[in-house]
Amino acid sequence: MRIVVVGAGLAGLTAATDLAADGAEVTVLEARNRVGGRTRGVEVAPGQWADGGAAYLGHRHTELGSLIRRLGLATVATTMTGRSRFSFGDGPQSTDGRFPPLNATALGDLFDRLYELTAAVRPDAPWLTPDAARLDRQTAAGWLDGTGVHDDARRFFPLFLGEMMAADPADVSVLHMAFYLRSGGGIRYLNAFAGGAQAARVYGGAHQLCDLLAAKLGDRVRLAEPVRWIDQDGTGVSVRTDRAYHQADAVVVAVPPVLADAIEFDPVRPARRATAATGRGCAIKVQLVYPAPLWRDHGLSGWSVSADGPLQSTVDDSPPGGAGVLTGFVTGRQARTFARLDDKSRRAAVRAQIQRLFPGLPAPGRLVITDWLSEPYSRGCYAALFGPGDWLALGPRLTVPHGRVHWAGTETSTEFFGLMEGAIRSGHRAAQQVAAA
Amino acid sequence: MPAPSTVTVDDMVGLFQRILETDGVGPDSDFFDQGGDSLLATRVLSAVARQYDVELTFIQLIDAASPAALTKLIKNFPG
Repeated sequence: MRIVVVGAGLAGLTAATDLAADGAEVTVLEARNRVGGRTRGVEVAPGQWADGGAAYLGHRHTELGSLIRRLGLATVATTMTGRSRFSFGDGPQSTDGRFPPLNATALGDLFDRLYELTAAVRPDAPWLTPDAARLDRQTAAGWLDGTGVHDDARRFFPLFLGEMMAADPADVSVLHMAFYLRSGGGIRYLNAFAGGAQAARVYGGAHQLCDLLAAKLGDRVRLAEPVRWIDQDGTGVSVRTDRAYHQADAVVVAVPPVLADAIEFDPVRPARRATAATGRGCAIKVQLVYPAPLWRDHGLSGWSVSADGPLQSTVDDSPPGGAGVLTGFVTGRQARTFARLDDKSRRAAVRAQIQRLFPGLPAPGRLVITDWLSEPYSRGCYAALFGPGDWLALGPRLTVPHGRVHWAGTETSTEFFGLMEGAIRSGHRAAQQVAAA
Repeated sequence: MPAPSTVTVDDMVGLFQRILETDGVGPDSDFFDQGGDSLLATRVLSAVARQYDVELTFIQLIDAASPAALTKLIKNFPG
């Protein structure tokens, strides 16, 4: 059996690896001149890597854990020891642990309501959630307005959603928010470092996952070959790229929904993979590189949250025993504004903020910006944002093949949607679908 | 709404167990040793505010992190 896989991210390479192991003749077509999709290595010092894209994992990410072991990679625990820095408009201040200097009862009210929503959602089929039509119509921003929660909770909410799902509250439906939080293991698991979804990173960088999978597939992975057209009839599929036609018995399209829709299909599909309401995940990552994790000498964890931005949060991503790396996240609405700045203005804004936030630290030596909004072959990160109406329109068809064309990618996984774990699970599922077809 | 003076240790054990999603909480169990974090702490504090009209801060909970200590704090509110 000949299979073409479109996209050499975690989902596509997982599907290709499974199918190749089953004896299929596999070709992976990747638009970029690198593999990895929404993972990307940033070399912060010679031989020391940080993650410009997807980075974190926890014990419930069982497929990712088994892939890491199979590839001979190791993990490194994230560290969160010391005081945090917060900036909520009255100047930066330090607090113990991760307790923000906000009204705790107000935040509790907000989380109580979010817990109710996530408990009610049907994680395997969000469109079948009780009252799904109403929850799918309303935005998270509209929902917040209706809760009447205290101002401190209103200030905190966009930061929380930005961190959890790289979304501005106006961009996602209440159903998508509730689903996303549930799909990732629940609010507490998704939010937590130790014991949660940010417990560890891949030692040496998560980009190695795809590098190693691709190396095993060898010349079956073809770079710089964006797919333009997928034709099929009763006898097979023809995949046209800028360079060649590839004939196959089946195709796995493992790219984000908006990019899948940029491919022409003949015959046309009964439904698209995205709608006008589908947004791009708004995440820009900034790595600030120091000679060592100097903040630890000041009793700080490196964790910070700022309402003023551009960095909404920072976290200690230092490679063990090496350089000091603070990773900053620009998400949601801040990311859209930041993406419009030129490189010089971006750097100046980050440096100024870091100086205010961490006045005890020297200026970072290097500053590496990874802008996922501007990546033509990702169109956002962490994942597509399902806006009003999307789950009811798109959900039932997420994994339904179009003839010989199957779908993979983290957005097709109702388990750990938006995460590396979801991508891997979708790749396994798509490979099984192809084999069973 | 029950008066703060009516709070019992059992009430607080029950609250901790609900928020921490565990049965293993005793009167002297430390919330943060039992897996409590800043997020779950906010839910304890919102429940206390809702049930007893007592508004506590993170720092007060950190200093009174067991059901027994928290009960005492609520009973004596505003202290």
